[in-house]
Parts: sequence; structure tokens; C-alpha cells
Amino acid sequence: MAVSEVYILGGYQTDFARNWTKESKHFSALMRESVLGGLEATGIAPEEVESAHVGNFAAELYCMQGHLGAFFTEVHPAFSGLPTGRHEAACASGSIALLAASAEIEAGRYGLQAVVGIEQMKTVDSGTGGTYLGTAAWYEDEAEGIEAPFPKLFGRLGDEYDKRYGLNDDHLAEISRLNYDNAKLNPNAQTRTWYMNKEHALCRTDDNPAIGGRVRISDCSQVTDGAVCMFLANAEYAEKYAKGMGKKLEDIPRLKGWGHNTARLRFDDKIAESRSAEYVLPHVRSTITSAMKRAGIADVNGIDGIETHDCFTTSEYMAIDHFGITAPGESWKAVEEGWLEIDGKHPINASGGLIGAGHPVGATGVRQLLDGYKQVTETAGDYQIEGAKNIQTLNIGGSGTTSCSFIIGR
Amino acid sequence: MSSTPLSAADLRALARSRSIERVVVLGANGTMGYGSAALFTTAVPHVTFLARTTEKAQEGLEAAIGQVRSPTVASRASVGSYDDDLEKAVGEADLVFEALTEDFAIKKDMFDRVEKARRDDSIVATVTSGLSINALCEGRSESFRKNFLGLHVFNPPNVIVGTELIAGNDTDPGVLDFVEAFSRLRLGREIIRTHDTPAFAGNRVGFKLLNEAAQLAEQISPVLVDRLVGPYTGRAMTPLATIDLVGWDIHRAIVDNVYENTDDEARETNKLPAYMAALMDKGVMGNKSGGGFFKKDGKTRLVLDPATGDYTPEADIELPNLGYIDDVARMYSQGRYREGMAIFLAADGDEAAIARKVIAGYISYAFHRVGECTDTIDGIDRIMGTGFNWAPPSVLVDVMGPKAAVDMIARSGLPVPAALEAAAGSAEPDAFFHHPTINIGKFFVAG
Repeated sequence: MAVSEVYILGGYQTDFARNWTKESKHFSALMRESVLGGLEATGIAPEEVESAHVGNFAAELYCMQGHLGAFFTEVHPAFSGLPTGRHEAACASGSIALLAASAEIEAGRYGLQAVVGIEQMKTVDSGTGGTYLGTAAWYEDEAEGIEAPFPKLFGRLGDEYDKRYGLNDDHLAEISRLNYDNAKLNPNAQTRTWYMNKEHALCRTDDNPAIGGRVRISDCSQVTDGAVCMFLANAEYAEKYAKGMGKKLEDIPRLKGWGHNTARLRFDDKIAESRSAEYVLPHVRSTITSAMKRAGIADVNGIDGIETHDCFTTSEYMAIDHFGITAPGESWKAVEEGWLEIDGKHPINASGGLIGAGHPVGATGVRQLLDGYKQVTETAGDYQIEGAKNIQTLNIGGSGTTSCSFIIGR
Repeated sequence: MSSTPLSAADLRALARSRSIERVVVLGANGTMGYGSAALFTTAVPHVTFLARTTEKAQEGLEAAIGQVRSPTVASRASVGSYDDDLEKAVGEADLVFEALTEDFAIKKDMFDRVEKARRDDSIVATVTSGLSINALCEGRSESFRKNFLGLHVFNPPNVIVGTELIAGNDTDPGVLDFVEAFSRLRLGREIIRTHDTPAFAGNRVGFKLLNEAAQLAEQISPVLVDRLVGPYTGRAMTPLATIDLVGWDIHRAIVDNVYENTDDEARETNKLPAYMAALMDKGVMGNKSGGGFFKKDGKTRLVLDPATGDYTPEADIELPNLGYIDDVARMYSQGRYREGMAIFLAADGDEAAIARKVIAGYISYAFHRVGECTDTIDGIDRIMGTGFNWAPPSVLVDVMGPKAAVDMIARSGLPVPAALEAAAGSAEPDAFFHHPTINIGKFFVAG
């Protein structure tokens, strides 16, 4: 039996500016709105869904709730009895759920799958949340008793660049500025009304305090509540779906390529491994290039836009050279040349990324792919990249530990 | 009237088609002035804060810095006074933004000075929340009238993105299109075009509900009013608490303007209650005067008795059984908005009927303003959603179902809008609200 292509039928994201605790809403409401929104956006009948995968990092901590796959069945009576499950790989949880769903399609098990990425994080104060996020590192060694462990780990990523190639904080500020600017164009971005400009990102006063070495508040992604639901299908279902929409199969975007690597958990071990390597995080590079290879795309010039994991400005800085936009260590060139702007040569995070759009941890990988879907179907509204044919995502869990990448296109 | 949909690339080209390097904000010490000035500094290299004195302008700059919590506002700002700096600053400005007090004569005098000092190609915008755009530019030069428009930003602009754009009869359509593109892409505004009618669209529809709540407070306690027209009816903040926050004087200015200058089917609901006028004479202005319908005494929340002007601790006020609201909230907390709304619609008792009448009035009034305030219900929906953070009328109709909405309006003795009547008669009615990027769930707070 031939392996089926994986088609993407679209989906729905919740407004990442919302605070579901302030709305007095339970985790189940977040799940419900994203799934019902996805069904409505795609025109899929609930009875058609055959299986569901839920990506989530830490609902046990944030919401005192496990067994998240079962919550999918609460959304609609037709879902009762469906095979569902939950996937976890820290901030890459959403992409792991997508990988599992797409593998099941390729294996011929199911024709139509739902994937939900979900995280409710505003249930606790930022200190407690920071500690919970620390469990994405080697908690005992890298996070226990440390305030804001992840900003510190990604501050060290910046330090590593500084050591190897030199790093100017002005370029990090520009990355922050661009993500906030793009977020203004995205009606579901968390920071769309927040005050930011480059001067503020460079501000070194208490209005923009350092929380992880060189990482300041303006360099950080957000604490976000959000969920994203997408539908993936095999060729047979996609063909039927396209026909129902008055379209052809080739109008439906496909998952053209994927990459997935897991590096050692501790940041120090990763850096020690890459000491003599070309790239600071070689396994991230491999994730990106293996997705390109599977998609039959030679290099980044075949990619019209990137949705990358800017949990901090340093991780976007890293992504720029790891995608091959510049030679290793020269990411600053792309920043200075304006290549990353929506109408630049290599647009990054037209959505605003994690810094601008928000970072509901388990939802991010799915949100990135949904934004890719919007771009290649020309439905991204004010943040549309003109003529986008192929969009690549990069979703990272931990300090560059689990990396996943997808290429979506038609 | 409604803007032509442009591609993102065309919109970006339009926003770049003119350069806005310098903005002057007049009245920069007022709430709308400094809030808008801070907003402009996100996208404009030089923003001049002008007020009666340089000291007052400086106060505005400091308030702007405080509002957006960024000292960098100052790096793009300068301050000055009308007497010393207006002519030069206005002469250099690409955009003049007027945010003086809501007084026609004061604004008119200022525009006399602006007209003499401005360049022929500069844009002049007023942030008025309800004075007539046509009247404000009447008798002025052609270049002034072509470049004059209303840009009604809501307070605080760093939180609320809904913004009304109002053309005068002579406003150049190209200027309007540019201001819309610039405001959307560079200032992050949700732009709603409205007609030049008293209080435009948002305040016309919104303050009608607020004033009706204030009128109800003559019959039942303000606590009960805010409970009945509370979060479960589609808003984060309750109506009387909203009037306290906005300020009673502002509330009066808006409803008086509407009451005096319109003659619609619900005119009496826009009449300011006499007790509010009497209490305002004694200095009650809402939160800014230390209290209005509600005030704090340490940790105790006190509630106004409109009949006497006295305050009672909230805990001492006995409320009727409102168990249906808890049942609605339980449904909302799980994201079951239709089920929650159905409980509201079916709830027994006088209290639920009072609440339904207010909501029915909101929907009926909004749909009857189509054509008058905006071209379609969409404009009213978007300003209620993004300017007030209330469930837009169409969202309420969709969640209730048009038939149930029509029944509720009819049973409340209010005029049923024709569009709802038609939808209610259809076997498979289309939804009224078509904005897939706006989560309707956010309007239904489970409180």
C-alpha cells in the first residue's frame, strides 16, 4: 500500500490575548472553543473525525488536570468513543502531536484526524509559572531553586554566540521590535496592543528589566492561554473534502516535509557537543535541513516564509543562521538588511511569533502550522506574505532539546 | 462608506503612500490627548505634546510615559504651549490631532489657529466623541475640509483598539483610506467607519444601555442592576461600574447630546436620570471624585442609594434569588455559550425579565441604527466588540438564535428589527456575525 500524502484542511486558534482565568473558564472551555472553531472554519462535520491527538506540556501543574485526550470527547457527542491521546515534549508538544497524527495518516490507520495544541498558563503567578516551565530542562540540575530558569538558559545561548562570533544586543532589540510590529497585524496576537519600539527594547531601566543575563523582558515570549485545532487528512478524504468545497485536490495544502531531532537535555551538554561543529545547535540545524530534504527543497531560498520558535530573541537569532539565511554567526546581516520583514527576502514570524503572537506552550507548534496554512492559502489577512507557496516552521522544546519542523505548501 | 477590502500588500503600500513624520497633539494633558500621543510614538518619529502651558504639556508627557510604562516615549516627544509653540509645530506637522475638551466653541477657536498655521496638505483629526464633524469644519477653507476627519479613539488607547473614523461631507476619500491603512497597520487600530451622527455608533448604542441601567437604579439597587446586566449578558465590566469609571460628567455629556439631537424610537432611554444631575451638583462624578454608584471604604464596597444619595455596605443589601445566573455561568465556564444563553432566556421571575428587556433593547436599538450610524450592522458589531468589549448585537442574536431573539424583543414590548424578523422566518438562517478571527467566547464571562 502506498503511503498517503498528509493534507492540511485548516483550523482555528483562540485569541491569545485572552485570560481564561479572568473569564472564569475551565480548561474544557479552551478545548471546546478551539475544536468547535476548527470544525466551523473547515466545514467538517463532527461525525467525520476519526481520531484526535492533543499536544500539551503541563496541564497537571497549571490546571491540576491530566488525561487530556479524554477532554476531546467532551466537545461533541459524536466524539464519544474516538481514539484520542496526549503528547508531551515541552514547548514542542504541539508539533509532536502533529507528527503522531501525520504518521497515523501515512500508516493508513485513519483518514481524518484532529490535532489540538493547548495550554492554560495564567492560572498561576509568573514565579510559579517559571518554575513549572523549568521542568522542560533537567529540573534538578538546571532549574531547581533558580528564578526564571529558561530566560537564563537562553541568555546563555546568546552568550555562546557572543563568544563564538560576537553578538550585538541591538540586533536582538530589532528582532523584538519586528515581532511586536507584526503582532499588530494579527488579530489573535497577544501583544497586539502592547507598547513597544526599538528604543524600548533597548531600554536598560526598570521598565525593561534583565531577567536572564542579557535577556530582558522585551526579549521574552509571553505567558499565554491558548489553543489551536487543526485537521489533517489522507488523500482520499482530502479529495472528497476539496470536491465538497468546489476545489481540486491540488488546492489543498500538504505537509511536504518534516524534521524531528532530540538533543541531550542539559544546555551545557549540548554546547559541549557542538564545540567544534559548524552550528551552535547542530540538531536544530538537522531538523530544518531534513524537513527541506523531505520536501525536495534545496535550501531556504525555496521557502517563502518561516514561523520560528522565538521563545527569546536569542532563539530567533539562532534560527536565522540555522535556517541558512546567513552563514553561521552572521544572523545580524539578515536583521540589518531587513530580510526578515513581511515583505523582505526571508520573512520570519509574520504572525508576530512567540514574542508577539504569544506562547501557550503546548499550542505553539500547531499555531505555527496553522499560520503556515493561512499564508499558503492567502488567508492571513493583514500579515499575509505576498505569493507565499511554502512556509516552514521550527518548534523547539527545552533549551534546544526537542526540535520539530514542518513545511507546508501546495 | 465601508472600506473596500484591499490585499495586505496593497494596504501596506497605501500606509506607506504618505509619510507621517510629525504629529502635533492639541490638548496633550487630557486623558485622550496623552493616551493618543503615546500611541502615536509607536509609529511616528516626532510627536509634539501641546497644552495651555508647557508645564501642562509636560504633565501630559509624564502621564503618557506612565500609561504605556516606557520612558522611551520621551525620546520621540517634545512639549510646548499654544502661545509659544503652536504655529511652528502645526506648520511642521503632517498630522494635527485635536483632543481638547468636548466644547464646540473651544474646539472652533483652536481650529481657527490651526487653519492659519497648517500646511495645505496636512491632515487634521479630531478625537471628539460626538460633536459633528461637519459643524466643526463648517466655513473653513477647502483644503481644511478635505483633510479634516474624526478619529474617535477610545480610552485607554493602549488597551482598546476599536476606533471610529468619521468623514465630513467634503473629506477626501483618499485621505480617509490612508488614515485607515495607517491606523490599522502602524497603530494597531480596528477601524470602524461611521456616519457623522450624534455620538457616532459606539457611544450611541453603548451609552443607551448604560443610561438605561442608570434609570433602572431608581427602582432597584445599583448592585442588583449590575448583577442583572452583568458579565453573563456579554460584557467584562458591569454597566454602573462602567459609568463610574468613565465619569458621570462624560456620561451626561454623551447622553444629553444624543437626547437633544436625535429623535429615535428609544429616545426616553437616553434621558439622564434626575438623581444623577442632582448628585453631580454635589460633586459626585464616579471614581474620579472618590465614588459614584459604588465606592470603597477600606475593604468594604459601598453602594449608592440614588433616592437619598447615601451609601450602604454591599453586604447589607438583600438580593432576590438569582440562581439562574449561576446556572448560566456554570455553562459558560465550560464554553457552553448557547446552553448558557438558553437558560437566561428561559429563566423565570421579574429579575430575569428586567435583564432580558435591557438586552432586547440593546439588540433592537443597534439594529435600528443601521443606515443611520453605520452602513451595516457589522460596523456597530465591531465597535461594540472592540471599543466596549461587549458581545456585539449580532453575536447575541447568533448565540440565542434569531427566533429566540425576536421572541425576547417582542415580549419586552420593543420594536423587532426587520432583519431579525426575516432571519427568524428562515428555516436555516445565516449567521449575522462573520469574523472568524474574533473569538465570540471572550464576550461571555462566567462571572
